[in-house]
Amino acid sequence: MNNGDDKNIDDGLMALAASLPTEVTPERDLWPGIEQAIARPAKPAGGVWNTVWAQAAAVVLLVAGSSGITYFAVKGDGVYRGPQIVSADNIFESVSGDFGRQFTLGNDYLEARNELEGGLEQKLESLSPDAREDVIKNLNTIRVAIKEINKSLAREPGNTLLQELLLSTYHEEMSLMIKVDGIANTAMRREDI
Amino acid sequence: MEAILATGTPGISHEALPVSQQIASIDALVERAQRSDSAAFEALYRMHVDKIYGLCLRMTGNVAEAEDCVQDAFIQAWTKLDKFRGDSAFGTWLHRVAVNTVLGRMRKAKRENDRLQAVSDVAPAPASIGDSGDIEDLEQAMNQLPRGARHVFVLHAVYGYSHDETGEMLGIAAGTSKAQLHRAKRLLVQQLNTDEQTDGGS
Repeated sequence: MNNGDDKNIDDGLMALAASLPTEVTPERDLWPGIEQAIARPAKPAGGVWNTVWAQAAAVVLLVAGSSGITYFAVKGDGVYRGPQIVSADNIFESVSGDFGRQFTLGNDYLEARNELEGGLEQKLESLSPDAREDVIKNLNTIRVAIKEINKSLAREPGNTLLQELLLSTYHEEMSLMIKVDGIANTAMRREDI
Repeated sequence: MEAILATGTPGISHEALPVSQQIASIDALVERAQRSDSAAFEALYRMHVDKIYGLCLRMTGNVAEAEDCVQDAFIQAWTKLDKFRGDSAFGTWLHRVAVNTVLGRMRKAKRENDRLQAVSDVAPAPASIGDSGDIEDLEQAMNQLPRGARHVFVLHAVYGYSHDETGEMLGIAAGTSKAQLHRAKRLLVQQLNTDEQTDGGS
């Protein structure tokens, strides 16, 4: 086959290809499927965040459930002022995650928390091994939840539901520490006896 | 045309209108469709479906897959209509959406792996295209082409896109498009020649 033959073949093939009909009618009407698809409402933009929210809520439910398993005596005056969003200072570094830049906790809450946190290890030692293990497990679960919620809030800082969830989770943490404080004091008093 | 605009009812001959009126009516329909008017979008669908189906059919070589591609392409077009700024004709834009849809589906499903590799990529025997290689034979031979070669051949040889445009649509260099075209032509000639010999021997 020489170059002339090649060119003739090429030309013939390209001419034949160019003569192919570019329009072909489908054997069936495809519009109904399209119409059905485009009639569906679009996915809400917050779909991902709904999932995040659901995950965070599930974590907190788990925390609440697991916390209820272990009973601790609450300190007599164990009332504290719950966490509040206030100024841009004083953040829990240990649980603030990526969120600490925008939201902070009230000074009263921080003081109470710091006081409880300071003596936590010592008080844990006064508990039985099983109780200590339960407390540590629950506290860690709560703090993981706080970090997860923080991450979600870092992405969606205006989400008030997440803000409330974060505050309630801090509240859970505080409640648990108060219970530890209470049962530790009780144990110490019994030891005194 | 007003009937189409008002109801989106198919069956009114769009092509009977002068070209300028066709363009104006398409523009109007696009504007309405961009405002979520599904009747206008249906009218656009009716105007363009044969072209899009032809493209999908030639690129996929499979009726069912082509139908799915058409539906996906128009659904994609609907969701991306707000991005259509009229820089090109709507039909051209839709064509590109369809090409992307075909390529995306093929990448995802990899349905091509089970087929179209039967033709070995070897030097063709001499043949005389046009003697017995009619359109039907060519279409069958195109369906035997490897995917890359077929896509280039369809876009360049059948639909008349330049190598630059073909390469842009397929995400390959213009030089690769030329090489794939060359490969496609060799394989087609070989296939058509084989068919001719088979027919002659039977």
